[in-house]
Amino acid sequence: MKRNWFKIVFVVFFAGAITLAGCSGDGSKKKSGDIEIPDEIFGDDKPLMISQEAMGDIIDNISSPVEMAALLKSTGVPFSQKLLASTDRLDDLNTNFKQALNLGVYGCDLGYLNMYEKTGSVINNMTAIKSLANELRIGQFFDFNTIKRLATNNENLDSLMYISVSSFNNMDEYLRQSNRSNISSLIVTGMWIEGMYLATQVVKEAPKKDVVERIADQKLVLNDLILILKNYKGDANFNELVKDVESIKKEYEGVKITYEMGEPEAKEVDGMLIIVQNDKQHIDVSDETLARIIDAIATVRNKIINL
Amino acid sequence: MKKVLNILLTLLIALQFSNALAQSDELVNVCALGIGNATYLKDYKVKLSASSVSPPSAKFNVILNKGTMYKITVCNAEGYAGEAVVQLMENATILGTNIKADGSFVTAIGFQCQKTGMYSINVSFKDGKEGAAVAILSYINM
Repeated sequence: MKRNWFKIVFVVFFAGAITLAGCSGDGSKKKSGDIEIPDEIFGDDKPLMISQEAMGDIIDNISSPVEMAALLKSTGVPFSQKLLASTDRLDDLNTNFKQALNLGVYGCDLGYLNMYEKTGSVINNMTAIKSLANELRIGQFFDFNTIKRLATNNENLDSLMYISVSSFNNMDEYLRQSNRSNISSLIVTGMWIEGMYLATQVVKEAPKKDVVERIADQKLVLNDLILILKNYKGDANFNELVKDVESIKKEYEGVKITYEMGEPEAKEVDGMLIIVQNDKQHIDVSDETLARIIDAIATVRNKIINL
Repeated sequence: MKKVLNILLTLLIALQFSNALAQSDELVNVCALGIGNATYLKDYKVKLSASSVSPPSAKFNVILNKGTMYKITVCNAEGYAGEAVVQLMENATILGTNIKADGSFVTAIGFQCQKTGMYSINVSFKDGKEGAAVAILSYINM
């Protein structure tokens, strides 16, 4: 009887262990030969200037690159393949630092491709993302097969956009929960710089007012980016990246932003409460300042994709 | 024997935790389907305990951009009494909420942003009841 009881316990235990292993996916441990190395070894092991919670808050603040892509499309500027980062040099991306930054770059490019419904070109970009995400042990959050199916069948672009964006959100959430905000901060930085690169290159050709203003008002984001990167400036690579982002910030000194306050109005339309903000934001950026920002962004972006 | 039972209990809790995560992801998926003519940006999952004294709330900061029409859609999880009250705030000013003066709820909040800056989305549950919900931030394609 006792023997049978132990058999039952063993079977239940084994089934539970298998289930848990299945839930955690293959990204929770890094395999090196036969030895499994815990996540903590790759995590943030240095004391932080700001808490993980505050880091998460700041990273969350930074706008999605999809918004920038949507703005570019709304201005009527056509899609340009030549603006996208090449996916040919994945083998050179052989450190977590390079992989995370470039994962952000490709993630932003994916948003741009999806926005313009260039689903045929999405596969190369997704293959690069999947490869880098696997290297960073977050590949389990990227639903490659579903995205590939939606892209190749050219079906349901809303779903394609949703799955792409939520995959990145889930990666970010997991990285922060597993004490790897350093990786998260690099992905966000790569995304932001690529989004700014796309916008500034578009403005170079067609200076649309809305896009110029969006580029200029990103002055507000720069301090946040520098703050999260400085957290890891003990690392030479991060220190270099901080200097690069500071070189962009320097060019933003000529951007002046002023506000006029107003009372918000609200109305209900079809069960939705619409709030119209009556504050006004005035952005003053000269052509010279804009040209310097465009150059600074291109310099840093090209450095990242050639790491 | 006690040890074995402890292990089993731990496994059971871990499985329930993993189920809870899967359920919240499921709610996000369902809620995202209902955002209509909008594009998903982020989701905020909230689960709060009941409190009659000082109702707990969760706050999420986000930078919103000038010239964009945002939409916040709220979905309550089944099995909880609490109905989510969402407030869109700028500093200490409430710009709008999904609860009307008569206590009923609107399905979503739209926000025509005219000023790029930091805003916050506060979520609590009506009457301090226990609740679980998802708020989805999206932008409306104009």
